[in-house]
Amino acid sequence: MKILLACCSGMSTSLVVNKMKDAAKKDGRDDEIWAVGQGQVDAELPKADVLLIGPQMRMMKKKMEAKGKELGIPVDIIPPVLYGRCDGQKILDLATKLVEDEKK
Amino acid sequence: MSFYDKIEGPIMTLGEKINNISFFSILRDSFMLAFPLTIFGSIMLIISNFPYLGNLIGADALATLQTMLTPASLATMNVMSIPVCLGIGYYYSKSKDCDPIFGAAIALTAFLIVTPWVSGAVVAVDSDGALTGTTLLKSATVMTTDRLGAKGMFVAMFGSFLAAYLYCFFTQKHWTIKMPDQVPPAVANSFAALIPAFLTLCVFLLISIVFTFTPWGNVHDFIYTIIQAPLMGLGESLWATIIAIFFVQLLWFFGLHGQIIVNSVLDPIWNALMLENQNAFLNHQTLPHIVTKPFMETFTVGLGGSGATLIVVIMLAFFMKSKLLKDVGRLALPAGIFNVNEPVIFGLPIVLNPTIAIPWIVAPMLSVTIAYLAMAWGLVPYTTGVSVPWTVPVFLSGFLATNSWKGALLQLVQIGVVGVVWFPFLKALDKQNCAEEAEAAAEEAAEAVEA
Repeated sequence: MKILLACCSGMSTSLVVNKMKDAAKKDGRDDEIWAVGQGQVDAELPKADVLLIGPQMRMMKKKMEAKGKELGIPVDIIPPVLYGRCDGQKILDLATKLVEDEKK
Repeated sequence: MSFYDKIEGPIMTLGEKINNISFFSILRDSFMLAFPLTIFGSIMLIISNFPYLGNLIGADALATLQTMLTPASLATMNVMSIPVCLGIGYYYSKSKDCDPIFGAAIALTAFLIVTPWVSGAVVAVDSDGALTGTTLLKSATVMTTDRLGAKGMFVAMFGSFLAAYLYCFFTQKHWTIKMPDQVPPAVANSFAALIPAFLTLCVFLLISIVFTFTPWGNVHDFIYTIIQAPLMGLGESLWATIIAIFFVQLLWFFGLHGQIIVNSVLDPIWNALMLENQNAFLNHQTLPHIVTKPFMETFTVGLGGSGATLIVVIMLAFFMKSKLLKDVGRLALPAGIFNVNEPVIFGLPIVLNPTIAIPWIVAPMLSVTIAYLAMAWGLVPYTTGVSVPWTVPVFLSGFLATNSWKGALLQLVQIGVVGVVWFPFLKALDKQNCAEEAEAAAEEAAEAVEA
């Protein structure tokens, strides 16, 4: 699965990316997870299966949802507390659920 | 509907609006384009002005070193308006699906058209910038670099937007020359850009001519006097700075990225102020401004992230009893050293947490006031205008930004003040959390007994 994370400069989401990668490895999954700043999201979005936005940039959501809809890519905000505590496992679960729901 | 829900709606809308204004987002990307260049210039400037370097290698060697390294900052920070022009032209055209590289070239050319050229005469000035005489060089046509740097920043911004807008407008009107399909794309593109470029540059030439009949004589002096100088005056005031910090903190309190929203509006001003200090520093003149981009990065964000939370994270990790608070503190500490503090903002959480709303908003406002006054009273030197990225850890950033250990000391004082403001509130939060944790533990124990 290809999971794209976005925040303002891709700095703080990269903390989450590492935790998610650890969680994925533990589950024996082979996910591609990466973070970008808001300037690069447009270019990166088509490569992803799902886009998760850092809660501090949730003002991007509307715009990104519209783009995601065109491409059939689900978009959501990472729940603030999971984000703050860098809960890689739960955020990975959220991404998985979003992709599965989209397939239905 | 709670009090917070009521406020959150409008704040979210405001954030969304500002973040989505293409003028600001293109400007943000364009400054990002200039950023690696100014960092290069800054590092060379820091090296050539390192404190006590003269004592170490001798005055002559230092002078030679400075001469050798000067082009690094002359070619980057002193002409920063050029990459900004290119960026605006490029990103604007790209957003309108026009050929961006032509948009960039046209934006830069348009800017150069309205920039005053000096023909024949080169003016000599002494070290204080006063006129000492006029030397006629052999038919030289020159452009003073201040127009391409700090002083021309706003002309570059507005001019490039107008140029890119016109270029895209004419292109989309299909006022272009069409080539047959057999013609190579690069050739066809240059013809496609011909008429839009011609018309756009005509407009700028016309503007430039019109302004020679005004009291200002040129577009640069007009924009500088009427728009840039007043905005810079406003932007460098203590009040504006405190208000800016207030909004950053308020937005973060609602979980929105405060800097990205507030900086969108204020970065052009802070950057212009930075460049003026840097010009003065390079020429060994008195630094003119307290508030600059590096001031905002180093003495606000540089103390652990928005809200100066490094000390908060340290107190959480080592001085609290609650397990949750300790965990949050320890998790947030490594990133906090590099001024990334989303873990503590969302993990504690600070967002929508009434117990700590007061220190969150008040401490940074107080801390920036201290930094401002310390410089205004001459206790700490002004920022030299070298660009210090906001991820540089505390103390090092304070030293680099002011070229003095006093900058680091100021940060230490700020951290102390922020810590004192926060401590009682953190203690209250700790008590709450301990009570909750004890309750949870008691319940668990009770359940265990029942089982």
